[in-house]
Amino acid sequence: MSVKYVPVQWNGFKWGYDAVVLIAVGLFVWVFLRVDADALGHERAVSGAIRNARAFGACAFVLMTMILCIGPLARLFPRFLPLLYNRRHFGVITAAVATTHAYLVLGWYFAFSPVDRFETVLFANTSFTNGVAGFPFEAFGIFALLSLLVLAATSHDFWMKFLTPPVWKALHYLIYPAYAAVVAHVAWGALLDRDSSAFAWIVYAGAAAVVGLHLVAGFQKRAPATDALAGLVAVADASTIAEGRARIIKLPSGDRVAIFRHDGALYAIANACAHQNGPLGEGRVEACLVTCPWHGFQYDLRNGQSPAPFTEKVPTYNLTRKDGVVLLDPEPNPPGTPTTPLPLET
Amino acid sequence: MEAAALILSIAKIWLWIGAGVSAVFLTVGVGRIDDDAADAFVFRVLLIPGILLIWPLVVWRWWRLERGEPFMSRYRPLLSHTPAAVIMAVLIVTALALSLTARQEWPAHIAPEQLSEAGS
Repeated sequence: MSVKYVPVQWNGFKWGYDAVVLIAVGLFVWVFLRVDADALGHERAVSGAIRNARAFGACAFVLMTMILCIGPLARLFPRFLPLLYNRRHFGVITAAVATTHAYLVLGWYFAFSPVDRFETVLFANTSFTNGVAGFPFEAFGIFALLSLLVLAATSHDFWMKFLTPPVWKALHYLIYPAYAAVVAHVAWGALLDRDSSAFAWIVYAGAAAVVGLHLVAGFQKRAPATDALAGLVAVADASTIAEGRARIIKLPSGDRVAIFRHDGALYAIANACAHQNGPLGEGRVEACLVTCPWHGFQYDLRNGQSPAPFTEKVPTYNLTRKDGVVLLDPEPNPPGTPTTPLPLET
Repeated sequence: MEAAALILSIAKIWLWIGAGVSAVFLTVGVGRIDDDAADAFVFRVLLIPGILLIWPLVVWRWWRLERGEPFMSRYRPLLSHTPAAVIMAVLIVTALALSLTARQEWPAHIAPEQLSEAGS
């Protein structure tokens, strides 16, 4: 959170998370290099250098697939939220694995030219207009790698504040074209060989999982804001909100508001965390503080302020009741503005 | 080949400018525009790769903040996840479909032929 920047905000959970990811990467590469070649679809013998490059390339693909599945999985099934926390370390590790793959490829396929290997990879195949077979699929890989490096290099909290959230967020939407480029890199490269059947099915399954989960999560319905009444928005069945949890409603303006129930009262704050737009309405409440499920930022439901010494603030909203119906004023209060909780009817 | 050399030259110039921006921004600039960075030094090393890659954005933001623009306290996401997911899905399905139309068999029926002697 704010106050003074530190290189990495470690805690026990993050140490464990990173250890699991690193061990999994090591195991993946070891298995890929040791398991019988036939089982991996390597029906023809390949040199050690090629196999090393394929091991790290395959690992990078699987890691990217997992990263892209975590977001929608956490939205659809809250039990996956712990995976979302610390996802940025996952991303940095993925960028390192992808860079290793590129280094190994450059050190074999492009290393025996009298010209610099970085230059060779750019001109060795320029058949951009002769169809898929023979297309320089390396171009997709270069784009994806550069995107991963930008995302990893700008993952520190400083960048979010410095660039402003909209710019930072727009920059990090690069992950979507980057993943599509990785799929194209693999599909127009290794998968053009019909013999690569085992890895082909892994790619198809991974891409289908990412596409399916993102589309389902993207089109998941939010609780609608019903019946405007004198400029106010009615909140249907507010009494059915579970204790310590929230219902997220989407306003006509496009803003999302999280309406929390805590200790017999309702509170309304903006749904977007001030850090990285995490969904506050999917967080848990303890001692009147909601914890963002993405990175653990906390806000007081009564005023939208992070507890001291932190300084983050989110807008609050005013709630009233008329004829037994809970009404929300869609005009947000300035971030950090105290509001009066609305007691639940007994 | 000339185009490849030109692209590499541009990349090198880009990184050298980034190195210059890093040197000035991390020693002089960052502490002036962000109070949270004023007495924090070790984390600045982590910013170097990012500055090398996106230094024009860094210069632009640095200039805006030096002119007194406050850090944003409230924002709405400008981009929605759903359109991004749809575009990604279309790109992935297209890439895989085109790949399926171009898959090839290994030409096992053609005997390998040595075109030249080793070392020639």
